Amino acid sequence: MSMIVELLDRPFDAEAAMVGFSRRVAGAGAIVSFTGLARATAKDGQPIEALVLESHRSMTLRSMQQIAADALARFSIIHGLVIHRTGRVLPGEAIVLVATASLHRRAAFEAADCMMDRLKTEAVFWKREEGPNGHRWIEPTSADGQDAARWHADEARSQ
Amino acid sequence: MSGTSVLTIELCGRLVEPIGSHITLHIPADGCTADVLLATAASQHPALAPALAATRVRVCVNDAIVTGDAWVNPGDDVALFPPVSGG
Repeated sequence: MSMIVELLDRPFDAEAAMVGFSRRVAGAGAIVSFTGLARATAKDGQPIEALVLESHRSMTLRSMQQIAADALARFSIIHGLVIHRTGRVLPGEAIVLVATASLHRRAAFEAADCMMDRLKTEAVFWKREEGPNGHRWIEPTSADGQDAARWHADEARSQ
Repeated sequence: MSGTSVLTIELCGRLVEPIGSHITLHIPADGCTADVLLATAASQHPALAPALAATRVRVCVNDAIVTGDAWVNPGDDVALFPPVSGG
């Protein structure tokens, strides 16, 4: 079992990362991946020139590692990969890549889903959208909180 | 007589907007709780007070998020975290 967690301050090639991941998971019966991309348009329709992710020098990576370690402990996955950008991300660029490999599909799906929900709500990032009219900080949404809460509720039930 | 110590605090996320990414605080030489530290930040930096009041700010001490009753000592590495974002 292994989990690779990276915090990058430059663009990365999600497809190339998946090629590398697939080579490392010989013996797996299932691979699931999710790539989150920076959007060109805000929720209110305004154009976005860049998404800026502020991070903390130690706590951001630590929070990502904790989420990854929890997934490795909870789900029957063989390998995992989490790559997250920090800094200025342009529309169309990958913000985050999560990949999981397991013997059977369910564990890979659930581990990827769980890690993404927690990355969106618990990882230490502060995000702002930059547009032609200035910038706007992004607030956590109740929908994101509800998505992440599903996994905490499941955890409580299984105890 | 108990003196005071100067502590440099890192501000994160939207908290940087009013007065930048770092502030200095005068705290008791034998330290104070995280809650008192937040109140002290608001009183010693009035321009920051609305931002601190507008959201739930957590205190990070030596690379750990702490509760309001945790003790902060001079020399600690302290940062203030607004809610981390979804988006």
